[in-house]
This record gives sequence, C-alpha cells and structure tokens, in this order.
Amino acid sequence: MKIPKPCKTSKTWIAAGTLGLLSVTATAQAAVAPEALVGPVADYKLYVLDNLEQLVTHTEDFTAAIEAGDLAKAKALYAPTRVYYERIEPIAELFADLDVSIDAREDDYEQGVEDPDFTGFHRLEYGLFHDASTDGMKTYAQGLMADVEELDSRVQALTFPPETVVGGAAALMEEVAATKISGEEDRYSRTDLWDFQGNVDGAREIFELFRPLAAQEDADFVARVEDNFDDVEKTLADYRLDPDDPQAGFESYDEVSDADRRALTGPVTVLAEDLSTLRGLLGLN
Amino acid sequence: MSQSDRSSRCPFTTLQTACQQTTSQKTKPQKTKPQQADDRQAGHPPTDPPSPAHAERRRFLKGASLTGLGLGLGFTGLGGACPARALAATGHGEDVTSAPQQQDAELRYPFHGEHQQGIVTPRPATGMLVAFDVLARDRDDLEKLMRVLTERIAFLTQGGRIPERDPLFPPPDSGTLGPVIAPDGLTVTVAVGDSLFDERYGLASARPKRLQRMEGFPNDALDAARCHGDLALQICANTLDTGYHALRDIIKNTPGLLMVRWKQEGTVPLLPPAPGDIDGSARNFLGFRDGSANPDGDDEALMDELVWVGRDHDEPAWAQGGSYLAARIIRNFVERWDRTPLNEQETIFGRRKMSGAPLSDGAAEGREQDVPDYTLDPEGKITPLDAHIRLANPRTPATEKNRILRRPFNYSNGVEANGQLDMGLLFLCFQADLEAGFITVQRRLDGEPLEEYIKPVGGGYFFVLPGARDDNDYLGRSLLAATA
Repeated sequence: MKIPKPCKTSKTWIAAGTLGLLSVTATAQAAVAPEALVGPVADYKLYVLDNLEQLVTHTEDFTAAIEAGDLAKAKALYAPTRVYYERIEPIAELFADLDVSIDAREDDYEQGVEDPDFTGFHRLEYGLFHDASTDGMKTYAQGLMADVEELDSRVQALTFPPETVVGGAAALMEEVAATKISGEEDRYSRTDLWDFQGNVDGAREIFELFRPLAAQEDADFVARVEDNFDDVEKTLADYRLDPDDPQAGFESYDEVSDADRRALTGPVTVLAEDLSTLRGLLGLN
Repeated sequence: MSQSDRSSRCPFTTLQTACQQTTSQKTKPQKTKPQQADDRQAGHPPTDPPSPAHAERRRFLKGASLTGLGLGLGFTGLGGACPARALAATGHGEDVTSAPQQQDAELRYPFHGEHQQGIVTPRPATGMLVAFDVLARDRDDLEKLMRVLTERIAFLTQGGRIPERDPLFPPPDSGTLGPVIAPDGLTVTVAVGDSLFDERYGLASARPKRLQRMEGFPNDALDAARCHGDLALQICANTLDTGYHALRDIIKNTPGLLMVRWKQEGTVPLLPPAPGDIDGSARNFLGFRDGSANPDGDDEALMDELVWVGRDHDEPAWAQGGSYLAARIIRNFVERWDRTPLNEQETIFGRRKMSGAPLSDGAAEGREQDVPDYTLDPEGKITPLDAHIRLANPRTPATEKNRILRRPFNYSNGVEANGQLDMGLLFLCFQADLEAGFITVQRRLDGEPLEEYIKPVGGGYFFVLPGARDDNDYLGRSLLAATA
C-alpha cells in the first residue's frame, strides 16, 4: 500500500464550512526533518559572527573619529558602520537592553532627543547631522563601543534557535515595511537606503540558506520570493552612487521618487507576506 | 408593532422567489401587492402612503439573495448566502440617510447586481472611505487585483466561517470577528480615481468623461496626505469592527497590489425606535439633521436619472451602472459653533435645529420632510438666499438635475494643536454626473455663511464601477474589456 505523503503545509487550508469539521485544526506535518536545519543554522551563525566582527571594527573607526572631533569622517562612517547591525537585527534584537541602547530612535522616548536615556547610533546621528558637531558626543560614542563589544561577546555564546533564524527573514522585511519605506529611520543623515539594503541583505541571506529546503516544499513560493528580492534590489541599485562599488553607498533618501517608494512598497509587502510563511513551510513552531 | 407581528409578516414564498434572482435582482424591488395586503393586516389602510415599515420590507425583499432558508448554508460561497434572520421591519427608516435604528448582525446585502451595493443601501451606523495607491505593475496585475477584491468583498459581505490553517502559519483571517463572520450590514463599494487612467494600465481612452482630479474650492485647505487616490473603498457596516475586519482582510489579500493612501472613518448615531418617533435623518456634529431632502433611494426611475450612469448620460458604455463618488473630509469647528446663537445657526442652515423643519413664517413648527416653497420667499425673508439648504438645493426646475444622493458620516479624529477637537463630516455623495452634481452644488455653496465654521481638508473624486453581475463577473471587468 502506498503511504500517502505528508500534506504539504501550503495545502492544508481547510475549506470553510465543509462537513462540520470546522473546529478541527490541521496538524502540522512538516516534510523537513529537524536535522536538515542544522547546517543552514550553523552557516547563519557564521554570517552573523562575521558581520559582528565587521561591526566592531567599523564602530571602532566611527567612534574614534567622533572622539577625535573629526566631524566629516564621523559623518562619512555613520551609515557604513550601521549596515552590519541592520543585517543581523533579528539576532541583535534578542538582547533587548542592547538593542535599545544601540539603535533606539528619539520617537521611543517621551522627551525625544532630550531624553537622558536616548543613546546609541541615532543619538550620534542627531549630533553629527542635525547639530553638525561632535561636541558632547564622546560619552555616547564610548557607550556605543562598549555596547557593540558586549553584543559581540553575548552572540558568541548564543545558541541560535532555528525558529528565530528562519523567522528573522520576515522580521527584517517587517522592519523595512515599517520604518524604511517611510524614511523615518535615518531622518537626519538621510542614509536610509544603506539600512534598507542592510535589512534586505540580512533577509536574503537567511532565505538563501534555507532555499533548498523551502524549494522542496513549494518551488513556486521560492521563485516568487527570488523575484521580489530581485525587484527590490534592482530599484535600490538605481540609487547607488557607484554601480561598481557597493562601498560607495547610496544617494540621500530625499532623492527617492514617490514612484520608486511605491515601486519598493509592492515587493517589500509581498516579501513580508511570503516570508511570514517560511517558518511554517519548514515546519518550525 | 410587536416583534411577533414583524416575524409573522415575513413573506416566505416571496423570499424563495427572491432567492433565485441572484444575477439580475434590482437593488430596489417595486412595491408589490402582497406587501400592500400586509399593510392592511397591520392596520394600515391601503390608501396610506408607504409606511417606513413597508420600505424596510421592500429592502429586505430586494436584499434577499438567498440560496436557502436557514439550513446552515451560511458558508463561504460567493453568491447568495442565506440571511439567518430577515431584515426586521422596525417601523422606521425610510431614506438612505435616515438614522439607523438596528444593529442586526445578520443583516446581509446582496453583492451581485447591476449596481454595486453601498449607494442606495440604507446607511448603517458606521462607514469609512479608504483611498489607495494601486501598485499593480501592469494590466494583468490590475485584473488580478480586481478579481481578488471581488472575491473578498463577495465573501465578506455575505459572511461565513473563516478558513483555518496549520497553526505553524499566520492565520488567513485576522480573527477580530471570531470564527464566524456575520455580515453585519457590511457593504464594500469599489471606485476608481482619475489617476488610475494615467499611462500605467492603458485605460486612458476609457476614462469616464466627468472624472477628474479634485481641485480645491475657495474655502478648502486641502491636506495632500488626505486627498485623491487610484482606488477607493467605501466600507460601511453596523459596527466599525466589521469595517476594520474587512479592510484588514482586503489589505492582507492584496500585497503588492494596493497601498493605503488615506483613510477616514465615521459614524452616525443610532436612533432607537421609540413610540411616536418621527422618522428623521441622523444628526451631524453641528447638531443638525443631515440628509433631509435626499432623493428617494427607493425611487428607481429617479436613481436612474440622478445616481446611476445610464445610456443617456454620455459616458463610455462600460461605465453604465456605475456612479460618481465625491468624498470630502470637512472639518467642523465645533467649539466655535457651540458658541454661536441658535437663531444664527438655524439661519445659516435654513432649518430648525431640533426638528429639522425648513424655516417658516408660521407659528407652528413643521417637519423635516416639509418642502420649502422659495417662490413665496423670493427675497429670502424666511429662508435667507444664502442659507445652506437654499444654495444647495434651490428647488427650481432648472436645479433638479443637480441633486445628489448624500451618504455622510460624522468623524472624530483626536485633538488639534490648539486643543480644539478635530471633528467633522466625512461627506460622501453619489451622482450620475459629477459636474452637474457635486461640483455644481459646491460652487453654489462657495462663500456661504456656514464656511466660517467648516473647513474641507481632504477627499477626492472617484468613479464607482458597475456591479458584478454574477459569480463569473468581477468588478472592473467592463473597464478592462473596453481597453483590451
């Protein structure tokens, strides 16, 4: 007798109203064996650690420039430093205390910029780009350096939960949908596109690592996600200062046309919807 | 009328006939003899003008797009789902803008038809207008959007059990209405803006002739963030929860196709039935009855003339059965209004505040439904020439064609920086000719004394697509076919 294959999770919709089975909940029958996830999760940890190493190095240069009072250099290093944080946000956010002190925005505080608890990248952004000065920034710079080093050591010791890793792809696209399209993340430096690309890079890395497993479950899904990633990256590429040099970065977010903001919103929203099903597709809780 | 009276009046055989009319039912059926007989039973002499209860029954009959009679068929079919309960006659509620008096969760309006729902449908207690940018990348995407909208609206307005899914996945429904969605009087009306006819989708040749981008009138202070849109949904229901549920469902099902541009919701006060109550229009936030003298939504000939685009309206053939929607977010300066003498308020409107009656020179106060005769008042001694109702509807033969079907809601958004309440009117009106309708009426109103107390801040003009005729049809099909 032929044993029926486990239901593909994407096919487990229960037609409403059928046969009085409505209260029955479909049980998950993931075709993906848990062991299959070990390799991609380990690879992802290497990716995160590599980015953290870069984050530490870049933060050293960035904060050194501030402490030296070199405004121009500090401004130039702001966005290229943040990128490494934006790529690994799903993991970095696991440490809420550090996420707040490193990456909170003034909107998170009732007293805004004046709030004594407001620290980190965005406090420095306000000083460098709004006040155009490194005055009074030394404490914030030292605090950021200490926080980044602390993050690095905590992540080294962290066991990566597979559901957090896989769910991270969706979390990054939610981040883009909520704060990048609107251009509110880097409102003083207008370097939002750097962060945007960082979030997309981080999401795509996760997706690519698990793509072979996802493709076994739903090849159409994988193709659609690839297409939408390509669409987003293509639009972002139009705003690169030098197409041949990723390090050159992006134009100011002010330069992004309304039409392109809309053109980004479409695939970003579809990615957020699609990637929200990646955990389920891989049978993860 | 007692509750048992109401239920015993449910004309079962007529219902079954209505069941079979899912594709061609008119939005408003004609008065029929069995109903008149019904009236006699209820003690109304046959010569009475149609009672409000009568109108309710007519709505019920017309709304009854049924596949069965309470046999548990309230599932997700796109066509006629069965109302578990008939639209109970209340003895009230004659016009589109009559104050809503019931919150029957099983109230269900048919989705399919020549015209879309939500226009001549009696106004429920809540409504919102949501304007979108269309993100569809090409015509195929646009068709997909229209098909998805049609499918979702057909389901949501008829109600049913929500689908379940493997709990490892995000649930397909927000769950905000629980496991079974009650129709709750929900209507969703789809309209398209002038900008949809730009170069993106090749629709330019089919643009409805009067469709245009809303331009500011002299008293407007338009906020760009609350104006225009490629597409608009008017979502009305007994409760805002039902409207929000529908909106979230539609957003979830149209990723990459729609992006919300602005949204404004509003309410109208419920008027509980009370003995001796006079049918009245619901009040706006200025305290006046709003909707008096609205054209009768039950009068099909009148609706064909004033509201629905037909053969005689000089519009593209695909647009027949559609209508123009003018939407305006009109801030009311309520604190200032509340510091204005009553006489002045009434003079500004041309109506008595409490009764809604037109101003008159007699001692006896009239009724809201009274028709003012301005020929007897050429100098405006009773109703000033610049009173709101006189400018809006001068009641001359020449201005009859300018009448519009209003369907407004009151909104309250929060507090302005000056500590004053941000309240006003979500003005919605429908007409077969936008120029002859809203635009002409608003031009007559330009400079009216009421302007001191109101400030339009947003809105837009849209064209309501013709209805979807049946399960094989979808909203926007005729537009896409006309430009294929």
